Amino acid sequence: MLLKPCARWPMNKLVSKAVGAPMPRESARLLVEGRGSYVDDIALPGMLHIAFVRAPFAHGRILCIETADALQMPGVVAAIDGKELAEICAPFDTNPPGVPGHASAPQPPLAIEESCFQGETVVAVVAESRAAAEDAAELVFVDWEELPAACSIAEAQSDSAAAVHSSFDNNLSLHHRFGAEDVSDAFENAAHVVEESFAFGRQTGVTLEPRGIIAHWDPRAEELEVWQSHQVPWQMREVYAAQLGLSPQSIRVVAPDVGGAFGLKLHAYADELAAVAVSKRLGRPIKYIVDRLESFTSDAHAREAKATCRMAVDSEGHILGIDAVVDSGFGAYAMHPRGSFGEAMQAAQMIGAPYKVGAFRAEVRGWRQNKAPSGAYRGVGQPIACAITEDMIDLAARAVGIDPAEMRRINYRSTLDEGTRATQSGLVIEELSLDACLAKLMEAMDYKTLRAGQAALRENGIYRGIGFASFVELTGVGAGLYGPLGLPLAANESCRLTLQPDGSLTCATSVTDQGQGTLSALGQLIAGEFDIAPNMVRMISGDTGRTPYGGGAWASRGMALGGEAARRACVRMRDGLFEVAAGVLQCEPSALAFDNGEIIGLKGPSGLTLAEMGALCHYRPYDIPTGQVPPMTIEESFLPLNLPYITSNGVHAVHLEVDSELGTVELLDYWVVDDCGTVVNPLLVDEQLRGGIVQGIGAALYEECVYSEDGQFTNGTLADYVVPMAGEMPAIHVDHITTPTRASGLGAKGVGEAGTVGAPGAVRTAINDALSPLAARVAKQPFTTRRILEAVMAAENLE
Amino acid sequence: MEMQDSQIIAAPRDAVFEAILTPEMLKACISGAQDVTGSPDEGFEAVVVQKVGPVKAKFRGAVTVVDVVPGRSLRLIGEGKGGAAGFAKGTATITLADHPDGCELVYVVEAKIGGKIAQLGSRIIDGFAKKMANQFFESFKGEMEGVELS
Repeated sequence: MLLKPCARWPMNKLVSKAVGAPMPRESARLLVEGRGSYVDDIALPGMLHIAFVRAPFAHGRILCIETADALQMPGVVAAIDGKELAEICAPFDTNPPGVPGHASAPQPPLAIEESCFQGETVVAVVAESRAAAEDAAELVFVDWEELPAACSIAEAQSDSAAAVHSSFDNNLSLHHRFGAEDVSDAFENAAHVVEESFAFGRQTGVTLEPRGIIAHWDPRAEELEVWQSHQVPWQMREVYAAQLGLSPQSIRVVAPDVGGAFGLKLHAYADELAAVAVSKRLGRPIKYIVDRLESFTSDAHAREAKATCRMAVDSEGHILGIDAVVDSGFGAYAMHPRGSFGEAMQAAQMIGAPYKVGAFRAEVRGWRQNKAPSGAYRGVGQPIACAITEDMIDLAARAVGIDPAEMRRINYRSTLDEGTRATQSGLVIEELSLDACLAKLMEAMDYKTLRAGQAALRENGIYRGIGFASFVELTGVGAGLYGPLGLPLAANESCRLTLQPDGSLTCATSVTDQGQGTLSALGQLIAGEFDIAPNMVRMISGDTGRTPYGGGAWASRGMALGGEAARRACVRMRDGLFEVAAGVLQCEPSALAFDNGEIIGLKGPSGLTLAEMGALCHYRPYDIPTGQVPPMTIEESFLPLNLPYITSNGVHAVHLEVDSELGTVELLDYWVVDDCGTVVNPLLVDEQLRGGIVQGIGAALYEECVYSEDGQFTNGTLADYVVPMAGEMPAIHVDHITTPTRASGLGAKGVGEAGTVGAPGAVRTAINDALSPLAARVAKQPFTTRRILEAVMAAENLE
Repeated sequence: MEMQDSQIIAAPRDAVFEAILTPEMLKACISGAQDVTGSPDEGFEAVVVQKVGPVKAKFRGAVTVVDVVPGRSLRLIGEGKGGAAGFAKGTATITLADHPDGCELVYVVEAKIGGKIAQLGSRIIDGFAKKMANQFFESFKGEMEGVELS
């Protein structure tokens, strides 16, 4: 069943005093003081270390592996190759049954006979220290036969392309269409048709803390303990159980403090699987920390895509149709277990999402390449769809001759069309507030003054641009998406709330925190329900041995799903305590409330504090008049039943200046008005938006994994892969419209990706706006000085 | 990556040509060469230890000699496998011409590098490859002219 767009639910009242309070994040103190405990801070007795020998070729056949010299080195315990690990560990098979035609080769933890990207692991050298393992790895000799490779998307899709993996004779991994088969009618009758090609460079997440794992197979208990820098410990438990043929119950996965994840720590990697399998093989704890060079070649990459899009509009600027083709670069293997198709699918399906688009058709193809596998990275496909859409809107506005902001306003979608269950592309959306967001944004940026200033400066040869990006974002993505794909993934979020005898609360949550502060916000929410200080709530997270079953962190779900689970647990806990108190105070439970941690009755403060209630229930249950002790531990799990995800929305704008002679971009100002429903902690929400925007600016201006023609990653260091720095960032002005989701009582929607989704589109449209007097356009992201200069020179040559 | 340079060597052209294709000379001139064996007809095998930026590598290389015009020119095709560090492969075309001071040696080197060392980026790799090539031909000039190079 779907929510009817016309059905009005009552507005959420303020859930508690804590919701909306800009509380400082006490738990961040530990991290900024350097007292966090990350995987690499953990040491186990008898622990060994791995250094991997990785494939140097984009595509190669392993002729022989010589490990004798390496094994002679002091401290070296073993040198294990793919064939040996295959005896105890199955390769990843990543072909979700619900994705028709999806094809990916099996990916073993260490390459066997054939390797398909530069950086694929081949030999695990195991030693008493990482240094000893690395020294010995230098002595492992692998004899290779270099095989023909297909690296770029264009190369992968050409008829004469080399096969990326020998088990296939072409490189097409996915082919799908959203919307109608034929939209030509919409284009035939249009007043204007605009068309553009797009290209998006490959990126990677660049987390501050690289990936890392400690695996400890205990042969005595036949139990596996894993500490991993990761977003989804429960998923990893299932993955390791499946690959090693173990009972999930014999595995515990712990994610300690995690220093940034951005989606790349959502995946199961061959490297980490190899570490786990080596521990099982040797019966000793194994640590493997990915170094920065390895991060670049083996972390999930993302975003590589090219696309063409046509848009038909009428003479007033109303969109009549969209017709798009997106080609996405998957890399050598589909990322386990969720595949690499998510980015491609969302890049196609989300085109035009904020607008009433008339006829819609988007074809998407995913291509295997001899490059690192691509996977989820903050925003997953949505930044691509948004950039395409917004650039097309600007082109159409120019063709029609109306202001780009007005073009957006007249086309915004606010609800699903009457009588429909989804948009033409299949999106299930709630009420959108794009109109209100745009109005607030234009006021904040003083749009008219900016435009006047822009026109005046152009007279002097100064090219400033104003860019907009409206977005709809799928947040809190739940089982409604993963279930039908046939992916065994828990997508609910859970909270197990315990009242301790001293009146403090413990919240064990399935939600995980990689630096966002989600746990602080959850603690704040819970504290607010009982009107106690947040430090009275102890948060437990990231440990399958101690938390309830559930997802973790991805698709902006912490507060939208985990917050609602926590709220529901609080309500049940409170109701139970009110039952007890009502008996003591001889009143109706409905007459009771919490104030400053104490139950307030009809006659005011009752003396029944949380501590008193804890002591009563735990130590003196006989004093409870009803004789009924309510449960002291409540578990709640939440997943929106009627929606596959919760849509948030917003509008970005950027003001920038392009130096047409240097090709440089100076960001002058940035605004965003976001609607993520109920805001629990505005400080955290605003920083999520700012951080996301900075990452989106990185995508637009700097970041690209540059591969050579023969598939060598040529800029895989932080000296050459350029990430945004504070000095280049503009002031980012954040504001909100609040439309609580009807899917939950809390009303919070996701916000973690909203910045990254919109920023590349805003910067793209702003640069093209700036260059419009020169009749120059940029199409390939990132918009480096070179690409901007090439665009300017190409336009000059046309004159 | 492509590099081109020349050296004036104070030795007769034929003597220079003869000398460049001996394993002893190759070992003396290749920086970091631990072992060089073989002959122009069968090709050479070499073990070279080098450090590129932070990456230390032991390359096992095979070099074949083609397009030999005695006394005038030849082309070396080499491939080195560096284990965990990656690989290097390339060609060097060497042309000799008479010169008032002896013989002018012109070399054009094309090199490809892959794996971990390629990742360090062209700013390190290009400089490293240039240094390797320059060192080779400077050492060679020194050997031919009987000058000890430090």
